Amino acid sequence: MKNPITAFIDKKLQRFDPIWRAENGKGGQRDRYYDKTGIAKHREWRGVHDTMADYLAWLNNLKSMGLMVAKAPLPVIKGIWEYRWMGSYLGTFAFIDRLFEGFRGPELKIAHLNMHAIVQSLTKKIALVLANDARLGGGPLTEKMVPMDEVLPPLFMCGFPNLIPIPLQTLPEFIICDIDQQLEPYYIDIAESFGLAADVCSRCSAETGVTFNDDFPIIGKALLSTNMPCNASEATSMFQRRRIGLPDFPVTLAMIHNEPGAHPYSTQILRDAIKFIEEEYGEKYDWDALFERAKQMNEQNTIELEKWDIFKTEYSALCGIAETLYRLYSWASVNGQEDYFTKVDRKVIKIMRRCYEKKHKPFGGKTRHRAFLWGPSAVYYTDFPTWVQNCWGINIVLNMDSTMGHNMISTEDPEQAIKDLALFSEKGVMRHHAVGGWDNVNAVWDWAKNFNCDMVLMNDNVACKGMNGVHAMMEEQARDLGFYFIFIEHDLEDCRTVSRRDMRNIVNNYMSVVVGEEPLDPTLVDFDDSEAW
Amino acid sequence: MKKKLGSILVKLLLVLLGAFAATFTIYMFNLENKLIYYVIRPFLNKHYDSQKRDRRIV
Repeated sequence: MKNPITAFIDKKLQRFDPIWRAENGKGGQRDRYYDKTGIAKHREWRGVHDTMADYLAWLNNLKSMGLMVAKAPLPVIKGIWEYRWMGSYLGTFAFIDRLFEGFRGPELKIAHLNMHAIVQSLTKKIALVLANDARLGGGPLTEKMVPMDEVLPPLFMCGFPNLIPIPLQTLPEFIICDIDQQLEPYYIDIAESFGLAADVCSRCSAETGVTFNDDFPIIGKALLSTNMPCNASEATSMFQRRRIGLPDFPVTLAMIHNEPGAHPYSTQILRDAIKFIEEEYGEKYDWDALFERAKQMNEQNTIELEKWDIFKTEYSALCGIAETLYRLYSWASVNGQEDYFTKVDRKVIKIMRRCYEKKHKPFGGKTRHRAFLWGPSAVYYTDFPTWVQNCWGINIVLNMDSTMGHNMISTEDPEQAIKDLALFSEKGVMRHHAVGGWDNVNAVWDWAKNFNCDMVLMNDNVACKGMNGVHAMMEEQARDLGFYFIFIEHDLEDCRTVSRRDMRNIVNNYMSVVVGEEPLDPTLVDFDDSEAW
Repeated sequence: MKKKLGSILVKLLLVLLGAFAATFTIYMFNLENKLIYYVIRPFLNKHYDSQKRDRRIV
């Protein structure tokens, strides 16, 4: 039941609500922005209740950032001065605004619960890393940190309760590329200035640029690298280990991991990695400590599977970017290490159950298509799921990032636990996606069917050698199986090759020419945001 | 005593109201992002561009 006072105010101010404006042919979401910059003249008016919810979430995120500075004032200031990528984090508020444009009611509430979990975790991690970065003077935990490759799920490292695993590339590259599209081209150019090939995956190229530019924090006594999931990644791994110069162990998990024969190999690699850390750091592996964190991860995965059941219906209040970005961060970076995420999951699933019981349809029931998305970073800096919903009414039900390891880990038997961890780790970022074998790619049709989708959106990294050959096959299969299918070219983190606008236009063309539909918000169809973060 | 408590409460309410007005204005008019985009980032970028880094392949 709506409060009569807020209902009265909402009615009086509805002409400022971009959704109302789009519905009544008076404008839409894009009216609020300065041309090209992506900077809004004012924030979105969503009605009294939702504007206040968004404002309080903004305050809450501001508080986390304030705490980060208060926790390590000098290292944070030094970090902003030292590292180009730290300056890009200042775009976080604008990033969050973009992601949740058009969100209302429970969708907005859940989105902010999930996003704040990321913000509070990330700000703590930044303060921790900078306060112990040897380049900035170091700290008491510098040698207790274990830099490890970001595509290795860090859960198995929880058996070392005195050590802190830090996914090395997450802060300078993996997360920040989503917030600021202008950052990575700088690092890509550095990599290429040394004669490196320009047609490789731009994520790997950007990481290489960070390495050459000496922009990684200096932490730890030994490094866990990995075979990483593609040829360019292998090169960047090699450059990083050379430049960082610490003793390292490459955790070469099985690539084609769907064959049962691969698991014993991955299991042994994890055992060897544990032994390496024991020797380098003088610590003993503690299975009970691992079991404690595995319980958290198991609970999160149990909740995730329940969420999937709700995703299959049209009554899920969690969808789009709020779902996929959260799952990506909570799985790949947190990976059972922080209780906060389990608490958020418990809250979110309660809201989702309630919405399901009330048959609440997200986005005012204006969804026209349900899509399974196969998309990496390029969907985040472009706020792609939000845009496709607001512009064309395409609800992203699930993204590929959410399909990573969801098997349970034994919390009693070390032998079984290490086997479970191997399987879990094989289903990590990209290894489970583009380069883990054809079965993983071909599974998009099963995912789409199981989640009652009528559409598949497939991001095509123009520089990904693993995916270059599948375009025509996927097109043929989509035709045979009767899915709407859009192949969206992008150059991952290099927005100069394929811009956000180009990516949007691929969808615009398909929706208007092939599907023959009209946009929900015409101001979102074609606009220039080339100078935006 | 009651009067003193009342005046403290009124002052507290005024402070809270002032804080709300200030932060809500910043929020609604997107002032922090404008400041960062037009002032802070250009200043920082200038600094980053002038930095001497130990740039090498190994």
